[in-house]
Amino acid sequence: MEAEEFRLVREALRAFAADHRCDTAEVGQAERTTAQKSLDGLGLGELRRSTPPLASAQECALLAEEYGRQPLATSFLGTVLLAPEVLRLLAVTGRHAPYESRPTVALTRDLRFTGRYSDADHVAWDAEGAESALWIGDDGTVRALELGGPAPTTDLLRVVREAHPGTPDSVLGRLVPEQLQAWRAWALVMVSSELVGAAASFVEQSTAYARDRSQYGRPIGSFQAVRHLLADATVAVEACASATRYAAWCLDHAAPDTALAAARVAKAEVDVSAVEAVYAGMQVFGGIAQTWEHMAHLYLRRVRVGATVLTGTADLLTALALPPSGPHVVEAS
Amino acid sequence: MTDHDVPLDFGDPADLDMLRRELRAWLTEHPLPRRRNGEPMAEFLHRWHRQLHSGGWVGLDVPERYGGRGLTALHQVAVSDELGACRAPGVPRIGYLAHALLEFCSEDQRARLLPRMLSGDDVWCQGFSEPGAGSDLAGMSTYARRSPDGGHYLINGQKLWTSYAQYSDYCLLLARTDRAAPAHSSITAFALPLNRAGVTVRPLRAANGDDEFCELFLDDVRVAVDERIGAEGDGWPLAMTTVNYERNALDTGHLSKYGLLLERLRRQLREHPDALPDGLVSAVGRCVVDYQVLVAHTRRRTAERLAGRPAGPESSVDKLLMTRAEQRLYETALAVLPEELHRDGGAVYGEYLYSRAASVYGGTSQIQRNIIAKRLLHLPSAS
Repeated sequence: MEAEEFRLVREALRAFAADHRCDTAEVGQAERTTAQKSLDGLGLGELRRSTPPLASAQECALLAEEYGRQPLATSFLGTVLLAPEVLRLLAVTGRHAPYESRPTVALTRDLRFTGRYSDADHVAWDAEGAESALWIGDDGTVRALELGGPAPTTDLLRVVREAHPGTPDSVLGRLVPEQLQAWRAWALVMVSSELVGAAASFVEQSTAYARDRSQYGRPIGSFQAVRHLLADATVAVEACASATRYAAWCLDHAAPDTALAAARVAKAEVDVSAVEAVYAGMQVFGGIAQTWEHMAHLYLRRVRVGATVLTGTADLLTALALPPSGPHVVEAS
Repeated sequence: MTDHDVPLDFGDPADLDMLRRELRAWLTEHPLPRRRNGEPMAEFLHRWHRQLHSGGWVGLDVPERYGGRGLTALHQVAVSDELGACRAPGVPRIGYLAHALLEFCSEDQRARLLPRMLSGDDVWCQGFSEPGAGSDLAGMSTYARRSPDGGHYLINGQKLWTSYAQYSDYCLLLARTDRAAPAHSSITAFALPLNRAGVTVRPLRAANGDDEFCELFLDDVRVAVDERIGAEGDGWPLAMTTVNYERNALDTGHLSKYGLLLERLRRQLREHPDALPDGLVSAVGRCVVDYQVLVAHTRRRTAERLAGRPAGPESSVDKLLMTRAEQRLYETALAVLPEELHRDGGAVYGEYLYSRAASVYGGTSQIQRNIIAKRLLHLPSAS
């Protein structure tokens, strides 16, 4: 995408987010539907429809960061970035019949990458406006699951629904091992990017608050204890941003296994640092951030659940300490 | 995210790749020197400095007329990277001094001092810190009194942490030239020859046994006006330029060093999976993350420079990330390689001790946080 075009797309997304940001966790279905229509109206679904795609992975990752900055009840990750990329990869190898439904992705009930058995317990993640969910097996098989009722989640703005195989079982195609690696790397990077945006924005908002809020006759941002807290949160956010943006660049320019390794590093950093950054911001806001009305818990809920989405930190750290040998090993996380 | 956060090119430009290949070829023809039995580290490093210079591998970002190669900081980064990757000692630690001289010296001084600095004919050290002024440079009390006729200065005072002063020919010295004015306008820089009468150098033994750090005593040391660098009062901005380079993420020699140690830790996990408690696998994984994040962060900084964004106070972020990676890595190394914990004088234990200094030298971690709060976050000051 040309630089100017990217700037315009990002501005449009920013304007959408400003219009539809949620101030509370209580969002009615009518509101959600209106917001999703407005988001869909931006045409971002086209960004990765074709091959080569209109937008690079790095551009999509920066858009995911932008999206993550505001509390929103729409689906961008699942239905715009994650599931369409599966369909695009299937189309590349020609192993995919036209698929008319609007899917999001299926994850295990604890929100991890799906594994071997499609009849296991699954949910459709980030399912606002979705009509089905794509299940991606360890062997690359892609199935369409049907959606059921709402599933429990603590990330209150994010819609999660039950998902189960239909009859007959609907296999859409199969990703080759490199494509599966590429998709998992893609998913890790996009989810991480959204969390980076959330953490960065929340730290900025708490920093602004520290400039204004006075106690003992001076702004709390003049107290060294507060300054150092925010400085550490800033370092944490910068570490996350560097890791995710580099991993996104790898998606565009490196082999899938390299991209997956970089994506894991990014997710492992974000899982810890984005949460810590939000903790720091909440501490700066103090008592007000502990209330239902304040937006702090919306950010906390997003990053805290996000830190376990797709894969958990413990699995990532083990995989990074003991990388598998052999050129074509594709692991579950 | 600001509007500055646009897609960046994290890859190496093509000519950098060529330079890397050129250096690799040169290194195969010029094997690394071996440290002789009992040879002081500084002398060994000096031999290495001269060897590198003979191949044109010192001062890549210094203009050719001063003995460099007239390339960019990124070329210097690539050299640092390659040397680390082949376990060579790093590039000579003169980059930040050379930049200070380039920016603040007169043309005549640049021509006289820089080529000899780059070639290793003159060895330089840095005389900034004092017993009463570490991170708080403004508290400096070394005083340079101008003679009544204005022809020279007499300097009195004491400096501390002047690395390898006992092996050096010159010191980039900071001293006050006005006791009444605020630090930002009253500190002046000098190129002080260390063989000058009145200079006493006393090495300190560091916690790891090395004799890197020195004290420098200055008793009525006479320096000429043309040994002053820049104008009176330029010492403060010179110091700020210097420390920004010192904290920069772009000096990547240490990155390769971390990478090699990490490989050793991973090998240990692979080969002796049952000898270590489970938690250590995660601990090593965490070090891998720290290290790879630092690599990504450095690439981001490089890409930002290439995209034309100048370096600034965000070098404090870089330094804190570097400190995090280094201190956790050596801490973990002693747990994964327990025999190293009991080998005083061993390389890993020595580097472990040195890693504790990472949060102190070049401005303490607390000072870096102050800088981030003030200059990046624009938080109000206490007054």
